[in-house]
Amino acid sequence: MRISTQSFARGNVLLCVLCTILVVSLIGANVLLNCITRYNVASSQVRSWKESLDAAETGGDIAYAELRKTISDPANAFSPSNGWTYSGGAYANSPVTYGQDNLRTSSRVDPFYYDGNGNAWYRIRTKGTAPVLGLKRVGMDDRMGPNTRGDSLLRKIDFNYDHFVATYGPNGDGVGQTLVPVVDANGNPQPQISRRVELIAAPMTPFEAAIKAGGTFYGLGSAAYIDSYRSTPPGGPYDASVKTNPSDPRYPDSRSGTVEINSSVATIQGSIYGNLYTNGGTITKKTTSIFGIIDNNVPFSLDRFAMPSTAGWNYVSSPTMITPNTTINPPVVNGVPRTGTPQSPNYYLVTSFANNGNLTVNPAVIGGVAQETYLAIHVTGDIGQNTSSNPTITVPPHVHLEVYFDGNFQTKAENIINTSGYAGNLQFYAISPPTLPNGAPDPSVQQTVNLNSGGGSTSGFSAVFYTPSANFTINGAPDITGAIVCKNFYGNGNVHWHYDRALDTAGDAVDYRILSYVEDIR
Amino acid sequence: MKLKTSPSIAGFTLSEMLVSLSLSSIVLAAAITCGISLQKSFNAVDNYFSTQMQQIRIIDYLNRDVKRGLVVTTSVDLQSVTMSVPKYIIQAGDPEAIADPESIGMPRTPTVAYTTSGWQVNYSPSTTTVVYSISGNSILRTENGVVTTIASSTDQLVPKSTDVELSNTEYANTSVTFLPIFTSGGAVAERTGTSMYATAYLRNKRRG
Repeated sequence: MRISTQSFARGNVLLCVLCTILVVSLIGANVLLNCITRYNVASSQVRSWKESLDAAETGGDIAYAELRKTISDPANAFSPSNGWTYSGGAYANSPVTYGQDNLRTSSRVDPFYYDGNGNAWYRIRTKGTAPVLGLKRVGMDDRMGPNTRGDSLLRKIDFNYDHFVATYGPNGDGVGQTLVPVVDANGNPQPQISRRVELIAAPMTPFEAAIKAGGTFYGLGSAAYIDSYRSTPPGGPYDASVKTNPSDPRYPDSRSGTVEINSSVATIQGSIYGNLYTNGGTITKKTTSIFGIIDNNVPFSLDRFAMPSTAGWNYVSSPTMITPNTTINPPVVNGVPRTGTPQSPNYYLVTSFANNGNLTVNPAVIGGVAQETYLAIHVTGDIGQNTSSNPTITVPPHVHLEVYFDGNFQTKAENIINTSGYAGNLQFYAISPPTLPNGAPDPSVQQTVNLNSGGGSTSGFSAVFYTPSANFTINGAPDITGAIVCKNFYGNGNVHWHYDRALDTAGDAVDYRILSYVEDIR
Repeated sequence: MKLKTSPSIAGFTLSEMLVSLSLSSIVLAAAITCGISLQKSFNAVDNYFSTQMQQIRIIDYLNRDVKRGLVVTTSVDLQSVTMSVPKYIIQAGDPEAIADPESIGMPRTPTVAYTTSGWQVNYSPSTTTVVYSISGNSILRTENGVVTTIASSTDQLVPKSTDVELSNTEYANTSVTFLPIFTSGGAVAERTGTSMYATAYLRNKRRG
């Protein structure tokens, strides 16, 4: 008999190797588990949380774009063909899916306030949803404290049901709470994160700056200045001394003579008691005379201006031509002069405005008292055709006149007579010329507005001009109260320009801006 | 009878035992050292990842509040951020909540007012104040007096925020660093190497 002990030695080595492999594998598995957990949080959950805000803000942009169409392209605003429906006083769109991660967004838009001009303010509520890929587990870091839940306080993941709808209802107002399973676009269960933002879109009125030029800017004279005041309480009549007297309570309103230029071509002269914005510009010449903020990175867009709908206006058939002596008195309806309203003015369609035409518009007088009277005149051609043109427009107190014109405007500054002194009472709107078939501006047509100071070099006017497609030229050194929106601006005189801050709120909306942003973090 | 003994199963000599014991000790010591090092490395990596997640959380918290903020100010040492955010949700104690307790947790409808500074949208006469600060090893978020620890680490997490106010917009730059528990001597460099940056614009202060 032979006894061998070699097999024991072999078994011992094998055991040691297996144990070593086990230990190393356990360590490796632990490392892998931790890595996967962190990766799951960092790569899937954090990413989804950020992407869902991106989706929510994208939904806000989509809704905002539709809102802007209500002004620039009303016929196609909130169109059903783009997925929009109208119900319960609000527009809503079906979810839009985009991006390689299949982000989804939907929006709800409803007006919640109307300002004094009848312009609607809209509330845009959007929801952005991003799928949470990877492992369907929390995997959050809960090491902050015994009463906190780490990441889950910040990033609320809906693993099975939409927690927001279940708790607060689909609109977040506590109505209609229900369990809604979270699914992907194909209806399959899919964890997701949703974030919600609420935006307030405010109407932009035409005259928020003293001068707003969509193109180039040159001006004004070296001794010119632009300042501001507020004609309405707590302000009062213009006082040139206020802008250099910080102790005057009206001082804050005296430095809003802002100039906005949407190009880099800006030659600034004179003094600006307000801000100066350009789009990539380099301010030249007397930049030290700009007393407000200079910001060379403020782009904006000026849309074409179309004749607003006259459907609700009170059409008056006469006059149709402005001759050397034309006086408009309000129509008498049932024995009472009709005053009109800002939303429904007395409306006149004029096919001809003589070069030497004199237009006077009178207010309605009832019981011997002049009433606030609202009129709109649409001139389908030019107002003044050449440099010798001398048309005159006279607007006494209590008259609120809006003049729309399709062609050019040319006259002397002194011929714009607004005796109330309030620029908002005389508003000129230049309707943009027709475009080419492809929608581009016709380069062969350039609308112009030319104002010459005329004989009285310092004679000025109180009026506002909204002429986004027109080149605006002003010569001489008139004293101007008002605001101008134009394409290219040129002025070479020592103009004294007073922007009335009451114009901030005057006029119909020409665009919308996002004025408020809040995230619903529930 | 004489037993046959094989030399192959004979005992070790003393010298063989000494050599084998020495070798075994060396191998065992090496294995233990490796194991400890591996465990330390694992702890370090685990801690690093964990702290990095907290970095991300701090930045995400801050950015969320900055984006919806109305005003953001940072302290001189850049380690404290104070911001005002709209009071969007009705909370216990608010006048609306006192009038209608069921309104707690519900959003407010905004109101519009024209001021000498221009149009203003308000959700409530007052705003919510949010403060981010450091307390020991913790990063605190205080909202109207309610404190939440949003991060806590022995790795000396240090968030620094800079509020940059331009003419008509505003943003906050934030960097968060920490000092890993295992360093190789170059502590400054190792802190710098953990930097995480973020920039968030105040959505309520837009150009144009």
